[in-house]
Amino acid sequence: MEKEELYTTAYMARLKITEEEVEKLKAAFSQMVEYFDKMKEIDVSNLEPTTHALLTSNRVRKDIVKEHNKTEAILDNAPELEDRFIVTPNVL
Amino acid sequence: MSYWENILSDVNNFKKWKTSVENLDREINAFLQFDPEKGKKLSSILKTSKLKNREREEITQHKGKLFNLPFAVKDNIAVESFKLTCASKILENFISPYTATAVEKLMAEGAIVVGKTNLDEFGMGSSTENSAFAKTKNPWNLNKVPGGSSGGSAAAVAANFVPFALGSDTGGSVRQPASFCGVYGLKPTYGSVSRYGLVAYASSLEVIGVLSKDLTLTKTVFEIMRGEDEMDHSSLAGDYGPKRASGPKETENSEKKPVIGIPAEHGDMDIDPEIRRALDETVKNFNKLGYQVLEVKLPTLEYVVSAYYVIATAEASSNLERFDGIRYGYRDFSAENPEELMLLSREKGFGEEVKLRILLGTYVLRSGFQEQYYIRAQKIRTAIRNDFNNSFKNVDAILMPVYPKLPFEFESKELDPFKQKLADIFTCTANMAGLPAISFPVDISEGLPIGMQLIAPPFGEDILFKACGDYREIFSPKDAPNMITL
Repeated sequence: MEKEELYTTAYMARLKITEEEVEKLKAAFSQMVEYFDKMKEIDVSNLEPTTHALLTSNRVRKDIVKEHNKTEAILDNAPELEDRFIVTPNVL
Repeated sequence: MSYWENILSDVNNFKKWKTSVENLDREINAFLQFDPEKGKKLSSILKTSKLKNREREEITQHKGKLFNLPFAVKDNIAVESFKLTCASKILENFISPYTATAVEKLMAEGAIVVGKTNLDEFGMGSSTENSAFAKTKNPWNLNKVPGGSSGGSAAAVAANFVPFALGSDTGGSVRQPASFCGVYGLKPTYGSVSRYGLVAYASSLEVIGVLSKDLTLTKTVFEIMRGEDEMDHSSLAGDYGPKRASGPKETENSEKKPVIGIPAEHGDMDIDPEIRRALDETVKNFNKLGYQVLEVKLPTLEYVVSAYYVIATAEASSNLERFDGIRYGYRDFSAENPEELMLLSREKGFGEEVKLRILLGTYVLRSGFQEQYYIRAQKIRTAIRNDFNNSFKNVDAILMPVYPKLPFEFESKELDPFKQKLADIFTCTANMAGLPAISFPVDISEGLPIGMQLIAPPFGEDILFKACGDYREIFSPKDAPNMITL
């Protein structure tokens, strides 16, 4: 497993890995990816994938608006607010 | 039950209990937040708001099945006004604006949340050592881990802080700490309890579960929590009537002894001698109780851990994308643009194990790799379900160890994080197949609890309660050396 591979993957997850972290992470990462290869030992050719063990079709709810009174509590958790807008650094 | 009811209703008992918990918890660190007054306030707000909606009903003193019972909630399950930290720096100061459906249902029956318990960060781990804030100790031996990821909940119950606690089980996170702490740990059928309010780690695997020393209470709590919830579209109604593999449905009744199966594959597995001995004893004891124990085959068993970690990390990488420092949670203010904001906030906010799992999940979902990893793992899932379906034609429940090792010490050299993952083999199997499973105490060895596990067909929780109920004749939960007594 090349370091570059790890850095690329990290960027995809918007995770910054530091120089100190990379060696340790690389070792643990490689060990797991190698272990995943164990799955190759079993024949899955006649099997369909399972997502929800017990549900076989999608369910929808009625398209009805429901009110809630949690807006203040939600905004209270924002790191930085201006009026009722969440502030972020400049996009451009 | 009146012992626990009294604590919240009698001023003196309450003071004694609260002080006792605070004193012992300085050592145990089961709780990340302990605030019974906040819980009482929340319960009374719920009662008033619910009662307002019932215009025609008499406002009588609705006592409820769990009246005045204090309980603890794992800190990855939302309780309004309490923080919801998931034991992570990235949510260190996040206060939940809402309450999980499962918790609300319990509060509606009179139970009161008294605190939030410690866990492995975002539920990732088997020892609670991955918490960013505290080190929870096993009430049976303070040098040993309580198990994970619901270690705080297990310790709180074993230390007698509360009669029951909620946890979450993605790959064994309720059952394994329950076993390590000598209490019952129920993992319900996938979908039977709403996940609304459970911070998502692996959405197709996890479910909210119950820990307690009281099996009857465990059953009551489960029956209250379960049910379809419009806020969680993966939740199911379910038919919980008694079911047995043998005999037509009409003659089934909940008193009939379930037939137990034991996988032939045990022989080849790496299990500690003490655990193996306990397993053999458990089989003999079930025979003594009049239970038939037959051999079953689960050939896919040896592949579940690899498939489980592919699925769990893939889903985790997606679910944890929301923690970006923008709308809530930890934000690194030194960032000069939004991308840097995300990179730095996530780098500083997430712990090591969480980062590892996000990386693994991102990797296996990369374009070109999905067939090889995620889709393959989902097919192995089908294979393990088929194994169970075949077994359940002849048996009603399958007996397995919970964990192949006794509770281990902190920073174990022998059981490094990789080996801890391999040891999830017996528990993650039930999550892969969506089946209900329970961990029940069977013995104490070298002063450490040993639990065994029973797995039932979907919605077959009654089988688990029946078998564990009968097993109490042989062994029932014991008192840990470090617990409060009032």
